[in-house]
Amino acid sequence: MSRRIAIVEDEPAIRANYAEALRRHGYEVAAYSSRPEAMAAFRTRLPDLAVIDVGLADEPDGGFTLCRDLRAMSATLPIIFLSARDSDFDIVAGLRIGADDYLTKDASLHQLTARIAALFRRVDLLAAPPSSEDVVRRGELLLDVKRLTASWKGVALPLTLTEFWMVHALARHPGHVKDRDALMHDANIVVDDATITSHVKRIRRKFAALDPAFDRIATVYGMGYRWLAEGGS
Amino acid sequence: MARPPFRLGIRAKLLLVLSVFLAIPWLGYAYVQEVERVLRDAQEAKLAGTAQAVATALHDRPALFARPQGGDVATAGAAEIEAILQGLTRTTARIFVVDRQSNVIARVGTLQRREPDGAPPPQGIARVAAWFERIVVHPLYALLLAQPTEDFSDDFLGRPLPFAKEVDRALAGILAVDRRTSRDGRVGIVAAAHPVWAGDAVEGAVVVEETTNAVLAQRNRAFERLFTLVLALTLVGATALAVFASRLSSRIRRLRDEVEQAIDAKGRVRRIAAGSAAGDEIGDLSRSFTSVLSRLADSVAHREALAARLSHELRTPIAVVRSSLDNLQGDAVAAHGRVYVERAQGGLDRLAQILTRMSEATRLEQSVGEAEFERLDLCELVRGCVEGYRSAYAPRAFVVAMPAEPVAMRGAPDLLAQMLDKLVANAVEFGTPDRPVELRVEHDGGVARLSVANEGPPLPEAIADRLFESMTSARDEAHRGGATPHLGLGLYIVRLVAEAHGGSAQAQNRPGGSGVVVTVTLPVG
Repeated sequence: MSRRIAIVEDEPAIRANYAEALRRHGYEVAAYSSRPEAMAAFRTRLPDLAVIDVGLADEPDGGFTLCRDLRAMSATLPIIFLSARDSDFDIVAGLRIGADDYLTKDASLHQLTARIAALFRRVDLLAAPPSSEDVVRRGELLLDVKRLTASWKGVALPLTLTEFWMVHALARHPGHVKDRDALMHDANIVVDDATITSHVKRIRRKFAALDPAFDRIATVYGMGYRWLAEGGS
Repeated sequence: MARPPFRLGIRAKLLLVLSVFLAIPWLGYAYVQEVERVLRDAQEAKLAGTAQAVATALHDRPALFARPQGGDVATAGAAEIEAILQGLTRTTARIFVVDRQSNVIARVGTLQRREPDGAPPPQGIARVAAWFERIVVHPLYALLLAQPTEDFSDDFLGRPLPFAKEVDRALAGILAVDRRTSRDGRVGIVAAAHPVWAGDAVEGAVVVEETTNAVLAQRNRAFERLFTLVLALTLVGATALAVFASRLSSRIRRLRDEVEQAIDAKGRVRRIAAGSAAGDEIGDLSRSFTSVLSRLADSVAHREALAARLSHELRTPIAVVRSSLDNLQGDAVAAHGRVYVERAQGGLDRLAQILTRMSEATRLEQSVGEAEFERLDLCELVRGCVEGYRSAYAPRAFVVAMPAEPVAMRGAPDLLAQMLDKLVANAVEFGTPDRPVELRVEHDGGVARLSVANEGPPLPEAIADRLFESMTSARDEAHRGGATPHLGLGLYIVRLVAEAHGGSAQAQNRPGGSGVVVTVTLPVG
């Protein structure tokens, strides 16, 4: 049974391009141009994953509303925002109402499909028992590369896909400085330096919410970031 | 704009206009002189009348002018004449009677005024006014006007008589009135001579004399009153005008100061508050300044927002192209077609990079507002950054000079690092390739100065004062293009970060024009 992806995007050319690309990857695609149209379809049948544009035709925040409604209908359905809007405010708002990731339209189709595949993998493996071979352990940090889940001191860490990949890139080689380009590459995103900075800031905040004393991610001014190994720098 | 070398303020000009009032005392003086003439004429007429009256009393009494035996002078009736004169005499007049040979046969009266009637001493405020008059006003007038005086002498013994001319004419049968000064020249004297008739023959003459003191005194009093009034009015007018002019010029000065500061060094526009509620022309001026400035502010804001809006608006069409190209690459494209797809994708990447840079400043403006400040050591931050630059810009050399002790400040390290990135990127790009970029941290009292200097061409003068504005670039054609796009946002970002930390940024040519140094001043502690 092929997976069913819903694309909600008001720009016909982009909608068609995404739909065709995803179909070529073997997904079943349902494309909608407006929020009411998408909602009507979702009430009949939920997709397996939704790609939503934030600004929809005459509703500047229609995507946010749709995401909130969809999240109310399913707590586990993967949702990706794909938007021309790239301000911190929009990204934070999008992630707060339950999206799994937020991509700007700079992202290539390749990056989008990589994300979609990763999210489906996570959904599939959530049920299966963890296997130790795909786990990266760095002190208190535990990264399950297959399921794309992270935990700190045994407590699950709610990271988005982008954030998970960034933490993974840093923690894989503790002590090594990862510059912003490397982080972008590893996280499959194309953004500017400031966005990387705010991603790192959000990651730190999520760690700090579990452990106020968290200080593993160090800024190397002018260069990038690195993961501090246990007890060393 | 150049200032005129000679400046006259509004206040000075108004006071200059006020000096026209000074013509009024002069007009008053001319008027008072006219009054004096009239008074003199009246005095002369009165003296002539007196002379005639005395003469009338002596007419047709030749016995009065009879000569005593053996005498030349007609003194026979002198005693009787004097008795008659006594009855006619006036307090300030002197009356002579002369015979045909101009011999004085009788005289009564004196020119000197008697003790003035004692006026009651002034009371209260009038006393102060009187004192003021005596001390200030009178000496002032004494300079301008002849003052009547009772301290003079006009005594004479024998001939020639001081009024010989008048007497001669009177003895010839004509009423004569004339004026002269006293013997000592201190007062004016008016004399009227009237013949005394006996039938058709002239027996003698009556001469009546008076000083002009009474007229002078009246004239002076009139002038003093006028002058005091005009002086008081002029003073009141000048004071009112000076106050008005001061207020006017201070309002205009305030407006000017505000207008001058309305556009700060960074090109940001502030509202004008001075006089904005006033209903007069200055209010109008202030309001038009405000409207002009707000239009300017709009255009500045528009320019600064343009980058962000443009980047946002272009994202969607770029996404269309990108997804189309991605699809095309996924399909089986012929080998020669694949080259074009790759080129198109390369161009698209560059376009996307431009857009990212364009929105960088706007994004920074947002993140500046939310930046979390923490305690940090500026030296450590610079040291870390320079490590990165050495590898990023190899083989370019970096020379760092900073104090040994930490420079502690409150700041957002990410923003500061971003600012330093821009400064160094500029220095590397504009500097002479084989010369090092120099970074310097100085700690001086409450501020730290972070400067980045490079050898190379000086700043273009044309844009020297706009360097820190959005979308201003010093790049000439040789620097334009290339792999990395430039939008002139680098120093704008520097300024944003500096201002977010309560500091400022300046760019200067190095002494001798050997390069450029950009200095960021930040408060520390």
